[in-house]
Amino acid sequence: MALTTTGHRPPAALTFKQKMARLDYKASPYLYVAPFFILFALIGIFPIAYTLNVSVYEWHLLKGQGDFVGIANFQAVLGDPFFWNAFGNTISIFLLSAIPQLVVATGIAALLDQALRWRTFWRMSILLPYIVAPVAVSVIFLQIFNQYHGPVAGLLESFGLDPIRWAFDVFPSHVAIASMVNWRWTGYNALILLAAMQAIPRDVYESAALDGASKVRRFWSITIPMIRPTLIFVVITATIGGLQIFTEPKLFDGRTNGGGDRQFQTIVLYLYELAFPRRDFGRAAATAWILFIIIILAGLINYAITRAIRTNEVRAVKIPAGALPQNTFGGRK
Amino acid sequence: MANSRRTIAASIAAAAALALVATGCSASGDSGKTTLSITTFGTMGVDANYEKYMEENPDIIIEATNLEGGGAARDDAYAKIAAGTGLSDIVAIEEGWLGSIQEVAGSFVDLRDYGIEDQADTWLDWKYEQGTDADGRVIGAGLDIGPQGICYRGDLFAAAGLPSERTEVAEYLGGDDATWERFYEVGQEYLAASGKAFWHSPRFFWNSFVNQQDEGYYKADGETLNIEGNNVLKEHFVGLVEAEMSGLGAKLPGWDVGPEAKEDKFATYMCPSWMLGIVQGYYDAGTTDSGWDFADVLPGGAANWGGAFLGVADSSQHKEEAAKLALWLAAPAQQAASFELAGPYPSTIEGQELVNDTTNEFFNSAPVGEIFAARSEGVVAQVKGPEDSNIQDNVFGPILDRVSQGEITDGETAWKEALTLLDQLVGS
Repeated sequence: MALTTTGHRPPAALTFKQKMARLDYKASPYLYVAPFFILFALIGIFPIAYTLNVSVYEWHLLKGQGDFVGIANFQAVLGDPFFWNAFGNTISIFLLSAIPQLVVATGIAALLDQALRWRTFWRMSILLPYIVAPVAVSVIFLQIFNQYHGPVAGLLESFGLDPIRWAFDVFPSHVAIASMVNWRWTGYNALILLAAMQAIPRDVYESAALDGASKVRRFWSITIPMIRPTLIFVVITATIGGLQIFTEPKLFDGRTNGGGDRQFQTIVLYLYELAFPRRDFGRAAATAWILFIIIILAGLINYAITRAIRTNEVRAVKIPAGALPQNTFGGRK
Repeated sequence: MANSRRTIAASIAAAAALALVATGCSASGDSGKTTLSITTFGTMGVDANYEKYMEENPDIIIEATNLEGGGAARDDAYAKIAAGTGLSDIVAIEEGWLGSIQEVAGSFVDLRDYGIEDQADTWLDWKYEQGTDADGRVIGAGLDIGPQGICYRGDLFAAAGLPSERTEVAEYLGGDDATWERFYEVGQEYLAASGKAFWHSPRFFWNSFVNQQDEGYYKADGETLNIEGNNVLKEHFVGLVEAEMSGLGAKLPGWDVGPEAKEDKFATYMCPSWMLGIVQGYYDAGTTDSGWDFADVLPGGAANWGGAFLGVADSSQHKEEAAKLALWLAAPAQQAASFELAGPYPSTIEGQELVNDTTNEFFNSAPVGEIFAARSEGVVAQVKGPEDSNIQDNVFGPILDRVSQGEITDGETAWKEALTLLDQLVGS
């Protein structure tokens, strides 16, 4: 008898207040994070799912939904030479922008990581291009890359060279567009990489310096491996942004859908052309999904490459680092 | 008790929010004024009339948006029709994409409900007809039409030893019997004497030719394509490519060639009425000594190119007021005011009479009213198909650009490539 009465009380005996407290403890965290997920479902998941729905119908922009066609829209897009032209242009512009951009950004970040006078001034300055609206950037770059009247044309002329047909030839147009992207994003990426570099403990560098490692060697063997996670982040965001490029090529020649002869039509511009001038919403939606899949694949490939390279270097560093005498300067900081 | 108080507070908040939403829609109503939005594009000159209307109708505020190009206006209208919301109360529609708007004519009100039939006689018959859909609903009030003449540089013509006075130029090009062959010949004379190109791009001259035919890219039914196997179009296309290759072209893009115009890189421009304002826009406001003049002649005979309509969105909150404004803007007196500001030629008979004495200072004080009246004699607009502007911009435009840039050098190849492109774009 005694055992039963002094044993566990049945849960029913909890007061209302206690129940609420328990609920509060269990449910509140989910409520706190809920706003993001609700918003994400509304403006993230829903459009993606709805786009998938549109992509399996014949869907005229103005007249609306037509017959169910299954994967016919996807087949049509993948069989369209204009899609593959846009795909090639996108990859070309992406490579021309992402690679120089990240290399230069890492270099700038390393320079800004030094003890500089007016440090904050320099660091703020590199963010300036990012603040300027892309439309304004295009206006300026359109002047620079004017085939007949731009400063580049003038420079070439003074050397007696033929003008470069920036808006007409494929490769020069890609270079011009990539330079707009680079101008805008290099500083932004540099600042993120700088933040990561700042988090590296200074004594690691000091130990390496004592061991006789040169500045260059310290950069390659300490800085780069230690900012690896941030590098991965920057590479992946640059990939997503690069594959979705639209504003710069659209503004480079506003009257066309990426050049009269599609010289610099990117995938998103191709999508835009399908959706608006050509009013084929179904195929445009299919293109959006194909792009979505391409971006995921590119992200995974990038992740794998970045990981593989950096892991090797970390290992290379770790061995001599472990052999170092026990951190003599550790307490000095 | 606490709970119920909270419930009350919540319902008050909700009611307040609703009230905010409700007043948001009718904010203009509070001041006793109605705001009407209108979207136009390019140099339509409609804006010449807004002030006057607001003065005469103090309870109306006009909120105007002017988009730079017809393409931007088209994409904007399409997106908003697709979304079912967001169209301005009044929307300017271009002839080139009127056909696709008529496929969804329900997005615009039937102007017959607002009395357009009573004034139907004021318009040129074919213009009124164009604004009417297959079911007889009138969805657009005709604004301007696009009769074409030749803009030319009198000073450069004179320097090259050609006649430079506008009636002499028209006569030299063949007057009423002007042909494209004669136009190319004169171009060769100019080229030989000056060493400079005659025109900026063959695009404009090609579009003019297509508009000159009874049937253009489409047969008169507006559905069947009329390009493959069309020897009239093909022969002219090949001839134009050859003329371009012989040095008549300045190898420039079709649009936005202000700096090149000022550098005297070309001497002629194909000028539908709405083009006058665009050429003028290449120069500083008030310029009168640019050398441009305007001649009453068109190789191959009269033709219409372009022209706009005003439609009233079915989603408008103020259809009555919007229709009243649209019909007023498209009435003869206002069309005349637009013409004097920016050059688009009236589509009403009375409007044309009103501007008959108008001269244009920029074009060496050419009697533009008189010239356009002559240029529009016998003009009837061609039936446009759903992909008309797409074919113009994305098939023949790029091919002619490639010819200009020396990437395609013979007419036969260019024509073949155009057909391939057409098949890829429209065929599927």
